Amino acid sequence: MADQKLVTLKINDREIQVAPGTLVIEAARRMGTEVPSFCYYPGLSLQAACRMCLVEVEKAPKLMTACTLVAAEGMVVRTDSEQVRQARKAMLEFLLTNHPLDCPVCDKGGECELQDMVFRYGADSSRFIEEKVHRPEEKWSEVVYYDAPRCILCFRCVRVCDEGMGVKALGVGMRGVNSVIIPNQGDHLECEECGMCIDICPVGALTSGTYRYKTRPWEMQYVSTVCTHCSNGCKTTLSVRNHEILRANNRDLSGINKEFLCVKGRFGFDFTKHPERIRQPLLRKDGKLYPVSWEEAAEAAATRLKQVLDASGGDAIGVIGSNRTSNEENYLLQRLARANFGTNNIDHHRTADYAGLHAALGENAAEKQLGMGDLEQATAVLLIGNDPTQQNPLVAWQIRSAIRHNGARLYILNGGEIKLRRQAKQYVRLGAGQEAAAVRWLAQGKETLTAELVSELTALKAQLETETELAIVFGAELSGAAIGELVAFGSRLSGRVRYMALGDYANSRGAADLGVLPDRLPGYAHVDDGHARKVFEKLWGSGLPAKAGLSAPKMVEAAQAGKLKALYVVGANPLKHFGKRDGSRGNLELLIVHELFLTETAQQADIIFPAASAYEKDGSVTNTAGEIQLLHKAAEVMGPRSDFDLLRILSHQMEKLGAGKAFHYRTAEAVFEEIGKAVKGYDVAQAGLVTGGAEAARIAVPRNGHAPYDVPAGLIFSAQDTLFSSGTLGRYCTLLESLPESEAKP
Amino acid sequence: MQLSPQLAKKFETLENRYPVKRSALIPMLIYAQDEYGYVTDDMVAEIAGRLGLNTVQVEETLAYYSMLRRKPAGKHHVQVCTNVACMLRGGNEILDRAKRRLEIGHKETTKDGVFSLEEVECLGACTGAPAMQVNYDYYEELTPNKFDRIIEDLDAGRKPAPAPVISGALHPRHPLETPLISKRWGIPNSRSIDVYLQHEGYQALEKALKQMTPESIIEEVKKSNLRGRGGAGFATGMKWSFVPKDSPKAKYVICNADESEPGTCKDRPLMEMDPHQLIEGMVIAGRAIGAHRGFIYIRGEYRYVLDIVDAAIAEAYARGYLGKNILGSGFDFELLIHTGAGAYECGEESALMESLEGKRGYPRIKPPFPAIVGLYGCPTIINNVETLSSVPAILREGGEAYANRGTPKNGGTRLVCVSGHVNKPGIYEVPLSFNMKRFIEEVAGGIPGGRKLKAVIPGGSSCPALKPDEIDIPMDYDSLAKAGSMLGSGGMVVADETTCMVDLARRIMHFYAHESCGWCIPCREGTSWLRKMLERFHAGAGRPQDIDMVGELAKNMLGKTFCPLGDAAAMPTISIITKWRHEFEEHLNGRCAYKQAESIVGAR
Repeated sequence: MADQKLVTLKINDREIQVAPGTLVIEAARRMGTEVPSFCYYPGLSLQAACRMCLVEVEKAPKLMTACTLVAAEGMVVRTDSEQVRQARKAMLEFLLTNHPLDCPVCDKGGECELQDMVFRYGADSSRFIEEKVHRPEEKWSEVVYYDAPRCILCFRCVRVCDEGMGVKALGVGMRGVNSVIIPNQGDHLECEECGMCIDICPVGALTSGTYRYKTRPWEMQYVSTVCTHCSNGCKTTLSVRNHEILRANNRDLSGINKEFLCVKGRFGFDFTKHPERIRQPLLRKDGKLYPVSWEEAAEAAATRLKQVLDASGGDAIGVIGSNRTSNEENYLLQRLARANFGTNNIDHHRTADYAGLHAALGENAAEKQLGMGDLEQATAVLLIGNDPTQQNPLVAWQIRSAIRHNGARLYILNGGEIKLRRQAKQYVRLGAGQEAAAVRWLAQGKETLTAELVSELTALKAQLETETELAIVFGAELSGAAIGELVAFGSRLSGRVRYMALGDYANSRGAADLGVLPDRLPGYAHVDDGHARKVFEKLWGSGLPAKAGLSAPKMVEAAQAGKLKALYVVGANPLKHFGKRDGSRGNLELLIVHELFLTETAQQADIIFPAASAYEKDGSVTNTAGEIQLLHKAAEVMGPRSDFDLLRILSHQMEKLGAGKAFHYRTAEAVFEEIGKAVKGYDVAQAGLVTGGAEAARIAVPRNGHAPYDVPAGLIFSAQDTLFSSGTLGRYCTLLESLPESEAKP
Repeated sequence: MQLSPQLAKKFETLENRYPVKRSALIPMLIYAQDEYGYVTDDMVAEIAGRLGLNTVQVEETLAYYSMLRRKPAGKHHVQVCTNVACMLRGGNEILDRAKRRLEIGHKETTKDGVFSLEEVECLGACTGAPAMQVNYDYYEELTPNKFDRIIEDLDAGRKPAPAPVISGALHPRHPLETPLISKRWGIPNSRSIDVYLQHEGYQALEKALKQMTPESIIEEVKKSNLRGRGGAGFATGMKWSFVPKDSPKAKYVICNADESEPGTCKDRPLMEMDPHQLIEGMVIAGRAIGAHRGFIYIRGEYRYVLDIVDAAIAEAYARGYLGKNILGSGFDFELLIHTGAGAYECGEESALMESLEGKRGYPRIKPPFPAIVGLYGCPTIINNVETLSSVPAILREGGEAYANRGTPKNGGTRLVCVSGHVNKPGIYEVPLSFNMKRFIEEVAGGIPGGRKLKAVIPGGSSCPALKPDEIDIPMDYDSLAKAGSMLGSGGMVVADETTCMVDLARRIMHFYAHESCGWCIPCREGTSWLRKMLERFHAGAGRPQDIDMVGELAKNMLGKTFCPLGDAAAMPTISIITKWRHEFEEHLNGRCAYKQAESIVGAR
């Protein structure tokens, strides 16, 4: 692109150079000149319907719409002439004829584009004395309401639903001045309930069922943080009043997801104030859980852990971490296990084999890593397994964007009829669980597959070989050695190949990256790697165990069998997910849990610490693509403390009893700073993070002569969440649970 | 759902006849409605399923077209036109009579479900005004008494004979007329291929296929100075030459037969009396641009005309003038007829293509123009019925000879349909540049009752109206433009001194507000606002400041809308409020000075 000849045009007497094909409205914006518009929306198809962006162009017989006008060499444009101002005023006067002037009670008042435009460009009085078009407001779903008279018919909602989401749940009904937006079920919506239509609406025509009539925009604080649900790491801006989250959106289009949020990101925050939230430490006495003081709970935890340590040693303790806690908390948790307890019995529910991907890519891992932004820019995507529409909504959005904007070719290998197949250039339907076999065939060509499948894979392979760049995105269907095969296949393609593993939950990648694994230290160095251990031993002032520990399922089995004496669980529900079907703690002596709610595991605990959610803490998380972003505390809930605090408290209590060193970090930032020093690849630029961006972790794992990487079958599995579920946390998202669509689980 | 065998067969044919399946949507909806009286929920789902659409896509399209209904209408759906041409000849009185007689209002159905009533926009029967349609049957030159008799017949289970062909086409030829494309009108069975062949039929095609190259056809059309007869007057040969010859995409020829500009009813007789002339013109156009498929998009109200053209197409296929290897030349051309469903906006070329693709009739962003990106994204030429019907004559007699029938830059003849207050409303073929005053006075027989002329709308209701002292001009594109108006579509509406110009402005705006597609703000809101203002003004609640405001609002639309519909609404309004301002001022005293005179005309 660098050698592309630029086009020079003049806007309001100022010369500007832009790339060929640039629209005048964009050229003007680039030089800081606002050309008002309603229907123009970057990334969506052009309409030229609102006529707000009319500008004067020299030699043109009439005003032109800047949103469809392509900048041409020598073009002379005026955006501020009397004629242009008069036209804008006229458009706004027309718009206001049927628009109700109910701004004082309209949800959008204060952040309404129409209001702003009338303020800036409109007339000071109204000449319209005829009767307005009336129509009652309609409730389309629990989260979407439509007020037709307020609608200015910019069709952004229709386009974002169709082009952006690929759902096409909205249409236009009637015609002329009676035109309205119509939902797909006649009088209501049945859709992904993403709410994109609400936030893209420039006026108060589409309003949110969870936010409407609750507050005024100027009464709230706005806190940008990262969605706590899936692993895609959408930036979300929480609107907070009196420490309470009232709304989530991303209207400033910042972050990796720009305007995108799915139903969970936009509406799944009500768990923070769920009545069943644990607000006090609980201690089991005589078989029952009683609320106790923080001192009592902390002392009990430290004392009883010390007893186990003294009696049975560190390897009698197991630690199970979370997919949602922050990077700093994950780092501290594995420090607690390794340095304070002296065990590598630490793991979490692994939903993607990030370690496997790093092992396969080795030194090339950083440059072969596919970011969310890269995916949107991709020209070819190979999707293996997973159903991104349901499980990784931003990934699906990025893929659709790539197809729409770059004409990207999508190739799918999947055992199910996932929705994205409709956009695929080639969709290879596999048998259930056949993904790894198909990849082996691609890599080695010898695998017993049906002739039909072989011919499809042959065609696919031929296609992939023609691509100059390929983004490979895969789910938990590939783990261990299969990822090695995939990378082997990818390395033989002539084009540039990059990879993204798809996991579940907000920080599953961070848990893996930062060593919440039984055999890997932070940064994926194997625990038997003396050099790597030494770095941490030096930092923490204690020796670290060199023998790999138990995986999460093994820990639960061992605990139930009484082989493990104590289990320390942070933000996880292992008794539900692993071990015996009955979910009992079996012969486990001590169970300590950090939790928001009394989950199946928490109910059986001896000591429960009420934990803060991601929306109630600072820190950082890493999305499934390896991009680090900052969490900012938005809500304040009485009682719970962050896992960072809880782990610090415990470390101090244990130090008092002579078990390991206390953690002397004052803030999450201090921990992150240490991570940056200790984990190569996490030493990312602060500026990007602080300004609300994402910085890619660039971990590269030196090949160290280990046996080929593999994991036992079944160790890594997806939670199979849908758009409307979010593991254990999802059960406490009342609104998600209330949506009729949530029942149609695949 | 269970479909009747006929409908199932119809659906199957429709589903498989278009390059893109969705194109079948509007015809499927309208044929389903013909059978069930309206489009049921089940039918929406059925059609969506058949075309691979979701139901909201079907609902969107359905809701756009005024002929399509989601609720039942009466067995006899009475549609009374009150648009300008009918209004001037008593259309409102027919509507009043209908309301009283049937005891229902606009868009209502009698309790027994036998009759429903709708006040509709121009039906393309202007020379037979006042007119109505009962279902698809045209009844023209109505009087209140004639209306009563039709209703009595229908009520008694008898079907009154509809107009055999449009009124005003088969008049004795006026000596000043120069029939060329209308010359077969009146010949018995002129619509049949045999009669056509006896009267020079398909000679031009033979010449085009055997003696001419595509380039020389375009050259000949260029020489003829033929300009688009639909309204815009763009040079036809030039338009054809824009189609990229080297494009690997399919190319299409579309005939715009969505005639719906109020006052215009010339395409209807051209198709019903001489369909083969149009077919011949289309094949030639296809040959000229290298297209192998053509579509005739015909307005939904013209169902009987559609059936006539469809039968003619079948004849042409049977005789080898359509289909594969036409006349042994190796040239293939397929031709399809496609029905609209009630939308003036679909007369705009890009909106028509959207509609032909089964979507709402929203116009497209231009550029690209249809010659480059048209139907299904392919190069397309789209011409009016009269334009394409002129092509065979041009090839037969040569471009130059054709051009010489008119004046330089305005070649050939054209059909003028004159309606309103003239003694002989009708469709006449005269050379371009024929004097307008002379036309009204001599060809159209002058103003009835010796009354004085007040206004002339020269070419359909979107053209600025002319005062009596402005009409002594040649009727051609350039002279009309010089006079501040347009030649338009040839639909001339004449209003005499009994006409209330406020009412005329109101009725014109009523039409454009009804037909505004709703895409862009100025047209959607502007036409609606102006309609309400003019209604209020005409009803006697006008304010002095309203007069200027009407002009200002119209100017705020002018040149700023997405497509020309906004201009079409603004221009006549501006002309009326400027030239007949005194009538608006007189209205301010609270009553319409012409009300009484108007009802006398209507009672005629």
